Amino acid sequence: MTTVLTPPSRRVRPNRPGTPARRRPPLVTGAVALLLLLLALLGPQAAPHSPTAQLAAPFQQPGGEFLLGTDVLGRDVASRVLSGGRGIVLTALAGTAAAGAVGLTAGVLAAMVSRRLGDLLVRCVDALAVLPALLVVLVLAAGFPGSAAALVAAVALATAPFSTRVLRAAADPVLSSGYVEAAVARGDTRRAVLRHDVLPNIAGPALTDTALRLVASLHLTATAGFLGLGPGGAEPDWGRMVSENAPGATLAVAPFLAPALLLVLLSVCVGLLAGRLADTVGRGAA
Amino acid sequence: MNLLAFAVRRLAGAAVLLVLLSAAVFAATAVLPGDAVSAVAGVDASAAQRAEVRADLGLDRPAAERYAAWAADALRGDLGRGFVGERPVADVLATRLPNSLLLAELTLAVTAPLAALLGLWTGMRGGGADRVVSASAQILAAVPEFVVAALLVAVLAVWLEVLPRVSVIPLGGTPLDVPHALVLPVLTLSTVGLAVATRLLRASVADTAATPYCEAARLNGVRGVRLAVRHITPNAAGPAVQALTLTTGALVGSAVVVENVFDYPGIGRELQLAVAARDVPMVQGIATALVAVMLAVLLLGDICARLLGAREEHGR
Repeated sequence: MTTVLTPPSRRVRPNRPGTPARRRPPLVTGAVALLLLLLALLGPQAAPHSPTAQLAAPFQQPGGEFLLGTDVLGRDVASRVLSGGRGIVLTALAGTAAAGAVGLTAGVLAAMVSRRLGDLLVRCVDALAVLPALLVVLVLAAGFPGSAAALVAAVALATAPFSTRVLRAAADPVLSSGYVEAAVARGDTRRAVLRHDVLPNIAGPALTDTALRLVASLHLTATAGFLGLGPGGAEPDWGRMVSENAPGATLAVAPFLAPALLLVLLSVCVGLLAGRLADTVGRGAA
Repeated sequence: MNLLAFAVRRLAGAAVLLVLLSAAVFAATAVLPGDAVSAVAGVDASAAQRAEVRADLGLDRPAAERYAAWAADALRGDLGRGFVGERPVADVLATRLPNSLLLAELTLAVTAPLAALLGLWTGMRGGGADRVVSASAQILAAVPEFVVAALLVAVLAVWLEVLPRVSVIPLGGTPLDVPHALVLPVLTLSTVGLAVATRLLRASVADTAATPYCEAARLNGVRGVRLAVRHITPNAAGPAVQALTLTTGALVGSAVVVENVFDYPGIGRELQLAVAARDVPMVQGIATALVAVMLAVLLLGDICARLLGAREEHGR
């Protein structure tokens, strides 16, 4: 009886043979990711010049007054690099939060309603998943030009279908477990069951899924910036800086290499952290 | 016979999905008539001019009616004309889509054998090489395509100066007339595709290699290439193909980006230009065509996976 009443995620599962029992915590990756996030969020305050003012001739070499030289329009590259990450990170975070909320709600809902209705819901969500993520972003950008909210919505819409699937699959066994049956049988309200029995038990998968969605969101937001979607104009954006300065790559390397390398570091660190989280949670839970 | 019924059922499903998704695309782009009018009439047009343009474009009719008219025309192969330059959307599709498909074919030709080899090798062996390849694939898959492209440009076109930075295709020619212009786009797409495909294939191979019958074959002294070809490939291929088709959406997105990086005259470049110019009919037509291509690939993938699965049952 006790085994039936143990919540599924607490059940101990022996490690697969071949997987190392314990790995070192990813301190370096975590530190670099944290540093980059801080740089992106607080960078605009530290910028030595205005990121949008044209201060000197285009494509000046690094050194002297301008730490990283000037870009295609003679703007200070260092200031633009410091200011260009905030939009990407905030849009990606907002998109991830929205996708997570939609995915969690739809996933738990699909698991709670009757099987037929849940299947129908997942079928509809699958239809959305057919759309390539970038196509969603492009179409919404065409419909709502220059809108940051549309970009967040597009990122959420493109990534939420997968969350819904994953969270329904996670919530299904919890809802049919004896644990929840016992709670329902002793007369707990639906909301109490959700809050005390279901949500704590799918928190692990939900967290992992959100981390993986964050990787996809960052990827998509940076790409949208590169393609010139979202809020336009002179505002700095790492993705757009790469596209602006790529034609002048022979004249000055820093204006296009600096944002490109920062994007590589950011996506790789967040990707590795999400992968580790998935491994850890995946080994602990069913 | 069974397969035919399966294919027909899937085809019907895909057709329904295409109608729904094209309606979604239409709704996302056409519910705000103001922007389409501004795009054609100019921002500082008078109210009378705007009303005239609105009537010209048929934007004074309800959206559902416009969608019905558009869909009926689309069925006859007429996707309307773009606002910019009055080009027929179907013509643009006919000239640009083959270029993009060429890019996809070349990428597939480079990626598929390499990914199969790497996936089999790492999935069967495990150990240090597996960790290195898997970690590199994970890192590469996380990096946005345009960054990969920019770094390749920095090294190969700017620093070493061995390849052209943009893919300039002569007017009226095909990309095959200037093969060196194709190298960087295909290289970028292959790098990204290889990272994704290797991870999926490795997972499928590792699952198969851990099954009891592979263990039995190994205990019988079947090893190396023979084990890979006779025992693992036939059983790992089905799930792998299914997983790979699911990444087509990502590949379409990558192709759009890569075409823009290198100014390659494909459908993705055209779509981005149309989005930048607020050319609504063009966006609708291209987006719907891309969704149709996606659905066709998914359908083919499903049928392939079923064929591969069926062969396994016959063989055993």
